[in-house]
Amino acid sequence: MARSAKKKKTTKLIALSSTNKAYEFKKPLQKRIKYQGEEVDIKLHEDPNGFSYIVWKNKKYMLDVIEKKQNRYTIMVNSVWHSFTVETPVSLKRKRFLEKQGDASSSVSIEAPMPGKIIDILVEENGEVKEGEPIIILEAMKMQNEITSHISGIVQSVSVKKNELVMKDDVLIEIRKG
Amino acid sequence: MDVKGKNFTRFLERQQAHNDQHDARAKAKQHSKGKLTAWERIDILFDEDTFEEVDAYVTPDKTDTGFGKVQQAYGDGVIIGHGLIRGRLTFAYSQDFTVMGGSLGSVHAAKIMKIQDMALKMGAPMIGLIDSGGARIQEGVASLAGYAGIFHRNVQSSGVIPQISVILGPAAGGAVYSPAITDFVFMTDQTSYMFVTGPNVVKEVLNEDVSLNDLGGAGVHSKKSGVAHLVYPDEENTLMGVRQLLAYLPSNNMENSPEMELSSDETSDVEEKLRDIVPDDPNKPYDVKEVIRLNVDKRSFYEIAENYAQNIVIGFGRLDGKVIGIVANQPKVLAGTLDINSSNKGARFIRFCDAFNIPLLILEDVPGFLPGIDQEHNGIIRHGAKMLYAFADSTVPRITVILRKSYGGAYCVMNSKNLGGDFNFAWPTAEIAVMGPEGAVAILYRKELAASDDQAAMKKELAAKYRIEIANPYVADERGFIDEVIDPAETRLKLIRAFEALETKQIDNPARKHGNIPL
Amino acid sequence: MKIKSLLIANRGEIAIRIIKTARKMGIRSYVIKTAKEPNAWYLEEADQIIDFSESYDDVIPEFLDIERIIQSAGKHKVDAIHPGYGFLAENPDFARRCEEEKITFIGPSHDAIYRMGHKTIAKELARENSVPLLDGSQGALSDAEEARKIANKIGYPVILKAAAGGGGRGMRVVEKEKDIERMFTLATNEAEKAFNNPDLFLERFVREPRHIEFQILGDQHGNIVHLGERECSIQRKHQKLLEESPSPALDSALRKKMGEAAIKIARSVNYYSAGTVEFLLDDDNSFSFMEMNTRIQVEHPVTEMVTGIDLIEQMILIAEGEKIPFTQKDIKLNGWAIEWRINAEDVQSGFSPSLGTIEKISWTENEHIRVDTGVRDGSVITPYYDSMIAKLIIHAETREKALQQSSMAIRKFWIKGPKTTLAFCRAVLQNRNFRKGKFNTSFLSKELKIHYQNEPDEALLAAFFATYDYAREMDENEEKPLHTENGKAITPWVLKKRLR
Repeated sequence: MARSAKKKKTTKLIALSSTNKAYEFKKPLQKRIKYQGEEVDIKLHEDPNGFSYIVWKNKKYMLDVIEKKQNRYTIMVNSVWHSFTVETPVSLKRKRFLEKQGDASSSVSIEAPMPGKIIDILVEENGEVKEGEPIIILEAMKMQNEITSHISGIVQSVSVKKNELVMKDDVLIEIRKG
Repeated sequence: MDVKGKNFTRFLERQQAHNDQHDARAKAKQHSKGKLTAWERIDILFDEDTFEEVDAYVTPDKTDTGFGKVQQAYGDGVIIGHGLIRGRLTFAYSQDFTVMGGSLGSVHAAKIMKIQDMALKMGAPMIGLIDSGGARIQEGVASLAGYAGIFHRNVQSSGVIPQISVILGPAAGGAVYSPAITDFVFMTDQTSYMFVTGPNVVKEVLNEDVSLNDLGGAGVHSKKSGVAHLVYPDEENTLMGVRQLLAYLPSNNMENSPEMELSSDETSDVEEKLRDIVPDDPNKPYDVKEVIRLNVDKRSFYEIAENYAQNIVIGFGRLDGKVIGIVANQPKVLAGTLDINSSNKGARFIRFCDAFNIPLLILEDVPGFLPGIDQEHNGIIRHGAKMLYAFADSTVPRITVILRKSYGGAYCVMNSKNLGGDFNFAWPTAEIAVMGPEGAVAILYRKELAASDDQAAMKKELAAKYRIEIANPYVADERGFIDEVIDPAETRLKLIRAFEALETKQIDNPARKHGNIPL
Repeated sequence: MKIKSLLIANRGEIAIRIIKTARKMGIRSYVIKTAKEPNAWYLEEADQIIDFSESYDDVIPEFLDIERIIQSAGKHKVDAIHPGYGFLAENPDFARRCEEEKITFIGPSHDAIYRMGHKTIAKELARENSVPLLDGSQGALSDAEEARKIANKIGYPVILKAAAGGGGRGMRVVEKEKDIERMFTLATNEAEKAFNNPDLFLERFVREPRHIEFQILGDQHGNIVHLGERECSIQRKHQKLLEESPSPALDSALRKKMGEAAIKIARSVNYYSAGTVEFLLDDDNSFSFMEMNTRIQVEHPVTEMVTGIDLIEQMILIAEGEKIPFTQKDIKLNGWAIEWRINAEDVQSGFSPSLGTIEKISWTENEHIRVDTGVRDGSVITPYYDSMIAKLIIHAETREKALQQSSMAIRKFWIKGPKTTLAFCRAVLQNRNFRKGKFNTSFLSKELKIHYQNEPDEALLAAFFATYDYAREMDENEEKPLHTENGKAITPWVLKKRLR
């Protein structure tokens, strides 16, 4: 081999929460966590009913992976969910760098959070929307749900029509940041 | 180093210079863009300490035009070589953006061609890690000739060895056509781009403002154009994804795909959940991926082009450890109808599987082709024919399971018995007919309906009758168009046995240069 | 007339709840199967299924299809129909059609349903019977100008409500005079859309009241009793999230006063069957009549727990013409009951519905716990119906003990699949003012800032598990050996055809 440098194995993984909190774990993953200065054992169990739970400091925590795609995870612990991306030190650096760059001109699509029927579209193409503003009324589960925009910007395109049935994750509207 | 009086000074000097070239500065430059270096990528892609570089010390061609400067770097901006991926021989090139923007000069191109030739000779997969500004302007036509040489080899290797392109930076102009020919294109979100003409040219010619990402980013190519088959959020996951995909592929067209042992928590052969997946209401959608996951080995479904033409689902999976290719209509999207994009997506995948001896499983729930002026004018006839052609032309074992709807022309296309399907199964929920009940009774009883006082009620009644008498799997079963109506819960078991029975399938096709697929 | 068979025009937990009592009373139960839920649990519990599932292309949803339900009841010769809650439970036409077809409607008379369903008529009845009411308009408003006049007289804030309404739709709070015209238009449109009736009325808006309701039981012989109150102040957008009985805000004197008012209201329409009278209770213990619900309520179990009376059984007996077998003074409120509604909702995303399959559901059982549910392992939460998964009802001697038991029961209530309001229940339990019994309808918006309980260690454990699973999957992918040797064993039979 022409190159002398040895290949470096990833020695740690980082779970980065949706609120940008980083939890670091050493590889290979032992079933123990460094916690307030000491290592605490963590036990994964499955009960006869098919639930998985963690025993942590003598307490049971019911645990479930509710979404998992590539390195994106949503984990439910005692009926509260937490979203993470699992990163290596390198990918985390990349992520932080790209965040800083902040692609201002890019557009964001608002997707249907659940299947349902479009009752009303409250915005028009090229119209302005503010963060938190309702943009679409989607009827599901007998209820009319307001879908709100999570960014401010200009409506680039509206991909649905009134009374149309949509599936979960269908793109409803694209908004250009600004 | 001095061994038995021989002088290795020159050897050591060169080695030092080569190492210096990959110094911290070059690395930092690449990292500062959120990217990895060419070497780091190789390290992630290959098994530890298995990569052997070839042609590390070539230097670029000296141009005599005096136009622009050519950086005299060892390797000329590309690393080529071979190594092991999960223990299997694989060839690769990795472009180095830090050397003249990874631009393709004649020597750079010659290296790529050299490794392509080797991969083809050895019958091993060829992987290109692409991060290049395009043709090297200083070298002019020599550089363009280089591209053509690469394309030519891509085509020669097509269907002989698996070729994978991984776009990790820009791929612009002519450079995009090598990936376009290869079997699978990976992209990394936010830092990779592909386009024939860049934003500047678009601005100049059309006066349209568009960002790199909006013009040819991973999102565009995975959702809209269908150029990229797999997208990952960062380079490490992208390269790990390549490793994952390779586990499903044979090294060449004479071998079989590698097998894998079953997990300890393997899917049971009888899966009762399958009985409940297809809703009683024929207009109600469900997720066909759930059907796939419940039938293949645990965690073995590897989906391709997930975000493009989502009305068809394609991907690899394992059945009892053996690799199969899966083509499934997705009732969740556009009711699972076939349209131009889904036909293209399906057809290319079928061709790949056939070329590499990967048996095909077709899960069918298709109400027909997507109607519309737009579809007709853009050539759904031509494109739909590709899928039909691809199925009929393939010689690998092909098994169809009709889950629910199988209507009209789409019935024929989706690997029907007479298109050469080896085993065609149907679930009891299957509806097989020339068209859906509502449409059929509207034609068959036009006059009667027009005369009726309560059209809706009569139509409903007739539709129900049609379902019982025509649109069910039993008619087809009794006439041999279906081999067996099966219990959904036992699908996996049936499939394992059927594919086993088909292992020695061989077909005599007439001798010809090649057929004429309606491209 | 003795009821021997009973059609339940409902689904889910309430269908199962009614079946239980029917079974106890030796009554044959019939339920309706729909294409939307062909494998629902209530179908299995019933004695007989009437199949509506072929009607997927119908415009009218199955449980709202009066004529089809009446026809099916006739065809199967059932004696009676129980509407449950929601759907047709408070539809006077349905009750009337039952009457016409000589099918016993298990509920009040269609006239009582009609009059209490119409908010302006109900208010008028309250006024006539001198039951306290909020200041406001008498009858429907004719226009925004009239609304303005009345509002100016009684003072802001005021609330505009749809006369035919309920459930928070067609409601608008007006803080200032300048907003009244705009709000009037908005509320009118909403009322028109939602209830096919644009009529509005107006009343003083009580900012932070408690929501107290009284369970009423009346028979066809003029006997009416109340079974105590239910505290329903913990709400989100007018959706109740938990209920208790009794209310920490009532003493026996106030209970007596409000109970009597409730009976007065019921008497004004000669009410029989089970019903609920809702009041707003202000800080100063003044209360005012809001509306009467002429059906069994979702939260009826808390009353059953403290009174020991099976309300569904009483509804059936009353429908048969029986007299109520007890008087007001026989009724004792025994201990404390709380009902926690466990819904398939994502508390962390503004209570948005969370659809999907309930893979697993389990809870602990003891003498304090009652669970009413219509789901079990494998049940599907569909977008067609409400998002309720289960009602967890706790009964203990005191409120404190009931809360203690709740804490334990909620922690051991495990659901795998959709996101649920369990995290919300935990958050409520942690709240000091809730524990003290000090809360009103503004609890969610003002008191409980974070609507889910999240201990710091939980995020850490989730992070660990995500990382662990990721690493495991990577390793499994990487470490599982690939067997390529089979490639060398391909029979020549096959191999020679690999090329054309």
